Amino acid sequence: MPTLLRWPKGRKTFLKCWRTLKDIIYGMTTYEMVRDLKKERARREHLFVLITMGDWVGIPILPPYYALRLLPYVLPQITGWRCCLLREHDLTDLTDFET
Amino acid sequence: MNSIIVLIISLIGIGLGYFVYAKSIDRTIIQPDGNKTTPAKMYMDGVDFTPANRNVLFGYQFKSVAALGPIVGPIVAVQWGWLPALLWIVLGTMFIGWVQDYASIMVGVREEGQTFGALSFRLISRRARTILLIFIYAYLLLIMAAFGKIVGFDLMTNPAVPLGVLLVMVLGMVAGHMTYKLKMDILVTTGITVVLAFFGIWLGTVGPVKSLFLSINGGPTSPVLFGSVTWAQFLWSIVVLVLCYLGATLPIWRWAQPINYVAFWIVFLGILGGTIGMIVWHPAIPADFPPFSGFEGKLGELKALGPLWPLLFVTIACGAISGWHSLVSSSGTARQLEQETDALYVGGGAMFLEMFLATLSLLCAVVGVGYEKYVALVAKGANAGVFANGLATFLSKIGIPVSFGLPYGAVFLTLMALTIMYLVVRFMRVASAEFLGDAVPVIRNTAVGTIVALALSAVMIWTGFWTYVWILFGGSNQLMASLALLIISLWLKSKEKNYLWAFVPFIFMFITSIAALLNTAWQVVAVNLKGTLPIDKLIGNWIAAGLAIFLSIAALILAYDAIKALTRPLKLTKPAPA
Repeated sequence: MPTLLRWPKGRKTFLKCWRTLKDIIYGMTTYEMVRDLKKERARREHLFVLITMGDWVGIPILPPYYALRLLPYVLPQITGWRCCLLREHDLTDLTDFET
Repeated sequence: MNSIIVLIISLIGIGLGYFVYAKSIDRTIIQPDGNKTTPAKMYMDGVDFTPANRNVLFGYQFKSVAALGPIVGPIVAVQWGWLPALLWIVLGTMFIGWVQDYASIMVGVREEGQTFGALSFRLISRRARTILLIFIYAYLLLIMAAFGKIVGFDLMTNPAVPLGVLLVMVLGMVAGHMTYKLKMDILVTTGITVVLAFFGIWLGTVGPVKSLFLSINGGPTSPVLFGSVTWAQFLWSIVVLVLCYLGATLPIWRWAQPINYVAFWIVFLGILGGTIGMIVWHPAIPADFPPFSGFEGKLGELKALGPLWPLLFVTIACGAISGWHSLVSSSGTARQLEQETDALYVGGGAMFLEMFLATLSLLCAVVGVGYEKYVALVAKGANAGVFANGLATFLSKIGIPVSFGLPYGAVFLTLMALTIMYLVVRFMRVASAEFLGDAVPVIRNTAVGTIVALALSAVMIWTGFWTYVWILFGGSNQLMASLALLIISLWLKSKEKNYLWAFVPFIFMFITSIAALLNTAWQVVAVNLKGTLPIDKLIGNWIAAGLAIFLSIAALILAYDAIKALTRPLKLTKPAPA
């Protein structure tokens, strides 16, 4: 083991640098893939919420009986869906998605 | 002077710019508060608004802003001599570049994650938002033209390059399949595909493969098909457009994303190897390469580029300041910032790292290639070849043979351009659907929207001169940057903070960009009126002149609106709560 790593302080610094480097490389590589996948999943989930809870926003698609049966599964997505639906969107928002 | 001194100057620039100037602005004017809730936390939806670690975000920001711009710009700009190019890279980043990137993030954070489109509407006028969108579309079209010409006309016509590029595309798709369908470990996928990609690049340099592509190109001297476009240039530009079509229409996980991923490693390892090679070699700057060649940018027997001011300041856009950064910063990064105090590290830090990349690229041309070869390559129109040659020289110093390094450099640049191009077409498709969707409903169709974007790009690629297109690309980019600086100034004024540190750069960039566009328009019209050009160049030049004048008029209208906005009391209204 290199001398530096035997010292607690040196080891700590080394591990910190290593973690920083790992995070930066992750940010340059797979982070965007993960975000894109999350966005893709969110789109499908939002569609699901819209189908089940559409009558909340004036688009009744599913009869209330089934909507209520599905409510427990939809519940965790409702806050995100609401935020996304009500947020003001602009064309320049797409820059983030497309780059 | 030793080339290491140039790197040291660049590092001093980073030190002074980041640790002295940027930190003092951050501390005294913006005053970020680590305890304040950022939009990433306030509106966390796990998708757009998600807090991310500052190092991860730094990597994301750097990757999003550093493309072909910081590499090609300095290579062209050394025609004025390496000193003006170096000074603009260092001083431009120190006083303007980081200001825009960092402040764009902070404005986004303080304005609840709103992007520049919405902010220009609120702070200036409805028309300002429209002008911003026009700039974006023009900018994207010019990216397609500038990058398409580099790839289709210059890089891919080299018979050692196409196989490597096409194999990386295929391997990218394989990587996507391995990751998403076969659920294989990302490290295994990366190892297999990146090693195979390097093998593919090497395979492209083997004699029979080169001969095959040479015969496809129509021999060593490819026949002219129309105007001054050769068969090889036409063929490879069509291939590039087809790749862009696939990139814009296929699901992002199937094409763009995994290919970008594999290409990233090819590019990253190239930059790393080149930097190490350059440091190991640390040669003196060749005495015959002038530090300053004159105000007209005339190097040797090369055609003069034009006046140093304003053209140098748009020739090097990314690497000193770029409008695109403001869009990425406000729409992506600002919504993922965990703490306000991370903004300078992420926005400013990534910009200063890009400045370092631009300096390396400059050294690639000056030291790696040298004066005589540089002039010979640029005279042939092989501007991108300059970088490939320089990188090959640097890599040779760490034992990688030039016979591999040269096509590797070309593949490196091609991938850098292509990964941006198909995302640009994707964006153009969406933008045209937004602009024209109501009036022409058919444009909303994915295939139609993409084909329209590609047809416009093809016209730009097959006509005109690359140098003018590059300057126009820089000009539209810098106009976007000046608009971003204007919005930042207005925002600072509305908060009753000192706005001169953003407003003075705005004035400089605005006047410079308009002067550059008008100068280019004047140059191309003057050349056209001589009546000696082939038809393709003639058409391209008229398009370039029209575009330059149109962008200048749009910018002047914007300036008028901005002056009105500056003189009226500004009060930001809060957006509707989500």
